[in-house]
Amino acid sequence: MTATIAPGNAPAARTVPEPAVRRAGILRWSGYGVLLVVVLGFSVGAPAFLTSGNVSTILAQASVYAIAGTGFTFVVATGGDDVLRGGIDLSVGATAGLAGTVVAVLAAAGTGTLAALAAGLGAALAVGAVNGAVVVAGLRPLLATLATMGVASSLDLVISSNVKTPLDGALYDYLREGSVAGVPASVALLIVVALVATWALHKTSWGVNSFATGDSATAARVAGLPVARYTWTSYVLCSGLAGVAGILLASRLSASVPGIGTQILLDIILVSTMSAVFSSRLLVSVPGTVLSAVFVAALSNGLTLLGVASQWVGAAKGVLILVVLAAVALRGRKSS
Amino acid sequence: MSTTASRSAGTRLGSVAPRLIAPLALAVVLLLFGALSPVFLTGDNLLAVLAQSALLGIVAMGLTFAVRAGGIDLSVGVALDLGALGASGLISDGWVPWVAVAGGLFLGLLVGLVNAFLVVVARIPPFLATLGVWFIGTSVQQLMTSGGAPIYLSASRVPDGFAVLGRGRVLGVDSAVFFLLVVVVVAALLLGATRWGRRLTLSGEQARAARLVGLHVKRLTVSAYVLSALVAAFAGVLLASRSNGFVPGSGQGYLLDAIGAVFIGSTLSRHGRASPAGTLVGVVLFGLLGNGMNLMGLSFFWQGLGRGVILLLVLLLGVLLSRSRKPRAASLPPGMVGGLAALAPGKATSETGGERAASGTEHTAPAIDHDDAAPRQEVPTA
Repeated sequence: MTATIAPGNAPAARTVPEPAVRRAGILRWSGYGVLLVVVLGFSVGAPAFLTSGNVSTILAQASVYAIAGTGFTFVVATGGDDVLRGGIDLSVGATAGLAGTVVAVLAAAGTGTLAALAAGLGAALAVGAVNGAVVVAGLRPLLATLATMGVASSLDLVISSNVKTPLDGALYDYLREGSVAGVPASVALLIVVALVATWALHKTSWGVNSFATGDSATAARVAGLPVARYTWTSYVLCSGLAGVAGILLASRLSASVPGIGTQILLDIILVSTMSAVFSSRLLVSVPGTVLSAVFVAALSNGLTLLGVASQWVGAAKGVLILVVLAAVALRGRKSS
Repeated sequence: MSTTASRSAGTRLGSVAPRLIAPLALAVVLLLFGALSPVFLTGDNLLAVLAQSALLGIVAMGLTFAVRAGGIDLSVGVALDLGALGASGLISDGWVPWVAVAGGLFLGLLVGLVNAFLVVVARIPPFLATLGVWFIGTSVQQLMTSGGAPIYLSASRVPDGFAVLGRGRVLGVDSAVFFLLVVVVVAALLLGATRWGRRLTLSGEQARAARLVGLHVKRLTVSAYVLSALVAAFAGVLLASRSNGFVPGSGQGYLLDAIGAVFIGSTLSRHGRASPAGTLVGVVLFGLLGNGMNLMGLSFFWQGLGRGVILLLVLLLGVLLSRSRKPRAASLPPGMVGGLAALAPGKATSETGGERAASGTEHTAPAIDHDDAAPRQEVPTA
């Protein structure tokens, strides 16, 4: 474990070599290149792929993962991208599931929409507050959130009694079927979240400080940043957005499904960590997260349209993602 | 740089306390459930707990290798599944037991080699590489079972030689328990008493130093991932024999518990180092907890909650206790300490030991310990 060297040393292991900034343009766009090739390949192979109806289906499918992934990106940015010691939130999926379940159970019990939403988001934020507090206390994020993941998914089972709870109501129907100026409501929600998050993380001093904290907590502290506060906030934001994503997911499915949190966890981690592909310095970013979510959704959708059997979709997804990651890792090596 | 001898008694207690939490939690669980349920503390029940957690224990031992090498292996669940799939598939095709075992282990070996390739050659971070292998492995299982159909072996078709692996008894205990103990002892010897083990530890904790002193870090990393997958596949073979078949996806349930057990175990070490003995403590803790809650009649729904809370408490107490003792400046390279002290006088030296150091629990604090086998060196930061 490299941390034996020194506390502030974790960033030394990061794949962010200094000359990266000077790197040639072609390699820098390789992430977008792969995305383009895949989209072109699908649209040639399956004419239905690029129709507006299908595109909006893909975007709607991507919205849940993109929103939760955006929260995850905050944690990775603020905690550093070293997986074993850096920022990570394994409870993000379970939190999303818990929020959806709380809303559905309350709605089924006749609670008003606003109260149900508040309770669902409140549950998610509570998980985030615990995560943040425990990480600030000094626990490894990987382990702390592994524990809260167990707690949240267990609460999910307890509250729902492990049965599917239907979710009906004007707002939820709107999230599922409604549209704003021709854009599906879930996609509109995604756009709003993405714009605000992009602005916050990439255009404000708060965002710059968050990245600074993630790069070297020691340096950030010496520079006078309240590292603990930034860290805590990132976990609360992550869980809050996970809550939003969970409620959106339950609305899209018209029901809360117990245990769905563990199923979506991997995809959320994937879209967030893959966002580094779209950055010349291999840092996570909000736009990159949204793009990755769309990429992953397009991949499943396109493979299905091409008539690939569903058993192959997972394998193809895994291989393609590994190819992208390997391309990025090799790209990083050339300049180091 | 202080040695153990020169530390004051108080400091020594402070440095030992965080390491006692996992055993203490174990004792508390034993006493609590022992008081609440009359059957809990009987020998039969405790042996049953051990038998139930044996497979988790073996998987966690595999993971211990990967974690010791400074990585992580999320694909142990897939390796277990493929091991079980290979073994039960070959048995149902009428092959003799040893071929089935070898076939299962071979699939595990493949998983390990793919992991190692991705981590060492393609240089993908271990977490993401093994995550990708998890996706692929899950898909491969579905393809090999024509869409996820379970394989059931009727008892009459299972040769005795295969059945005995998971359901026999060796020296009066379940064969799975026997194999667990064998794996623990072998892993402890490999990691603790061989040159390979010391080199692996060094390359995991100080990859740069290991490279500088001329170790083949890549080869060591490959061996860790291959061993991790092989051991997990062995657990899969046992599972196939024990459950008379294979159900796709049954390995995933082991992963999170295995990670939890390995890291609970690492609180036992002064360096926060994963070790087979520590992992065993973590596994037994989870096993006793689950069994105790079952005996109390708590539904399955609550068990994740209990496990999560215990995991959180053990780790949190460990961090808080190790934090309360004075962080030693020795954990920083000398130049850095001076520089920080100059920048932020007064608080700097004690503060810098805090955040990052604390997040890695204690393994940042004791930079040099002479009684430790692995050579540890301070390297200037890049």
